[in-house]
Order: sequence, then structure tokens, then C-alpha cells
Amino acid sequence: MWSLDDYRRVFMAVGLIAVIIFSVPSAMMFVHLPGGERFSELYVLGPSHMADGYPSSVSAGVEYSVYLGVVNHMGNSAYYGVYVKFRNASESLPNTRAGLYNYSVFLSDGQTWERPLNFSFGDVHARGASVGFMDINGAPVNVNKTAVWDNVNSGFFYQVFVELWIFNATSNSFGFHNRFVSLLLNMTAPS
Amino acid sequence: MRCWVSFLAVLLVAVLMLSVPWARAVSPEEASAAVADAEQSLHIAFRTASDAEGAGANVSALMERLNQAGDALTEAGVALAAGNYSDAVEKAGASRGLADGVSGDAGVLKSDAVSRASGWWVTVSFSVVDAAAFVVVLFLVWRGLRRGYEGKVIESRPEVVS
Repeated sequence: MWSLDDYRRVFMAVGLIAVIIFSVPSAMMFVHLPGGERFSELYVLGPSHMADGYPSSVSAGVEYSVYLGVVNHMGNSAYYGVYVKFRNASESLPNTRAGLYNYSVFLSDGQTWERPLNFSFGDVHARGASVGFMDINGAPVNVNKTAVWDNVNSGFFYQVFVELWIFNATSNSFGFHNRFVSLLLNMTAPS
Repeated sequence: MRCWVSFLAVLLVAVLMLSVPWARAVSPEEASAAVADAEQSLHIAFRTASDAEGAGANVSALMERLNQAGDALTEAGVALAAGNYSDAVEKAGASRGLADGVSGDAGVLKSDAVSRASGWWVTVSFSVVDAAAFVVVLFLVWRGLRRGYEGKVIESRPEVVS
């Protein structure tokens, strides 16, 4: 036969288990498990949709294609600005907001955005020392860039530069998200 | 007779002028302002959607629609840069319309989410009350059981018979 102490232990155990079970919904309200690292991805893929075959030596009047992608791992929805820019090798990192071509991207957590980026060049002079305009996704844009001859690599080099900016809902403004990708392009025409 | 012919000619010209759609040139400033307004609408729509998400709503569908608005804004920017001002105003208007629609729907989603959250609070409160009631009932049962047990022990106490 059970003693009084045995009954007391059983009742205390049942009471404790019941309190724990009943308090689980309340506890879930206040206890937040730590999430993973929060970050965003910006990537560029080649024309075959692989990390391969990127344009490097380019000519005027020829269209080149790559794919741009953004992945949101910020833990909540995010509003990104993807800014396509064009620079020569001697210019400093372009981080002002104005791009030649801008994408507005909205992503829920875990979602991926991807768009083709088609570009070509025109009004190229002096074997590639100057570029007058660039056509991005069918939209002509004046660029008027010049490059100096690169003695090491023997050519006139430019960069198609893509920056990722993120919208801050509190300050109602965009800030550079420290993500960029670039394509180094040799514009040198044969002499 | 001649007077009538002149009158009919003037009338005909007037009718022709009125029947042609009135096209107005759009200035660069107007186009630029339209694009800026559309961008601002996107900002507002995203903030509203973020608020709804913070309240617990699923905003994936809203993000899809905002991407459509973003694409229209990109086209508006391209048209503006190319000097197609009327096209820029048209695309900016489309973007703004989509963004305003998202803002309205996000507001509704947020209200729903807030209502659900208050309902959840009621559930949580009941769970606390349930736990307390269970403990009280358990204590009362325990007390009754203990009294019964003690009574049984006293009754079964051995007595010395002289």
C-alpha cells in the first residue's frame, strides 16, 4: 500500500506537469529562439545561367547577357535597390545612389529575385579609350567614359558595376548594403 | 448663301478640332515629379506592408505586387532618362496605382493580424486561468485524500483490550 508521501509525490508531479503544459502557449509568446545570421545575397550569373561564361572582352554593337539575382535572408521582408553603374578602372568605388539603370526589388524572407541584364556599347572611339553610350535592357544611356591604357593587362578596361542598397523604413531612405558585383570588361578594339 | 457656307465651314472646323483627342506636351519637370511621386508611393506601400508583417500578417503576395510596381517604376525611370516624358508619366502612374493598392490591402491585413493577436491573448489568458484552476482542484483533491487516508490510519490503529 502507498504511503501518504508517495501520494504527495504523485500529486506534485501531476501538478507540475500540468502547469508546464498549460504555460507552453504563454511561454511561446515571450520566448523567442535565436534566429540565424541575417544577410542578403547579390549574385551575377553568366548567359547560360551558370557561374561561367561571363563577358570579358567586349566590342561595340554586340549585346551581352548576364543574370542578376538577390536573395533575402534578413528574417523579414526587405525592399532593395539594385543599381547598375558603369565606371573606368581608375574611378573610386561608386557608391552614390544614382545608377544608370535601377531595379526596385521587394522580397519576403527566403525569397529570390532574378532578372536578365542585357547590355551593349556604342560610340566607342580610339580603340576603346572612350565609350559614348551604353544600352541597358533596351534603354540607351549616355555614359561618356574614358579609360587610360592598362600597361600590365594591355587594354582599355571598364567595369559594369552593380550595387545592392536596402530601404530603411525608419529613416525612409536607402543605404548601401555593402554588397556589389562587377564585370571587368576589356573594351580594346584590334588596331 | 455665302454667309451660310462660311458659317458651316467654321462649324466643321470646330467639330473637327473637338473630335481630335487633346494631346498636351508633358514637361521634364512634370515627368520627374511623377516618377518621384511613384517612388514615394512605393516607400509608403513597403512601410505599410512591413507594419502588417510585424503584426503577424503574411505579406508574400503583397511583395509580388510591389515587384510589379517596381518594374513599372524602372520603366518610368528609363523613359524619363530617354526623354519620353509622357511615357514616363504613364508608367509612373501605373506604378503608383499598384503601390497605392498594396498600401490599402496591407492596412486591411494589419487590422486582421492585430485582431488575431488579441484573440491569441485571450487564449493565453485562458491557459493561465486553466493552469491555476487545475492546481486548485488538484490541491482540494489532495486535501480530501489526505484526510481520508489519515482517518483510515486512525481507525486501523491497534487498541489494547484489557
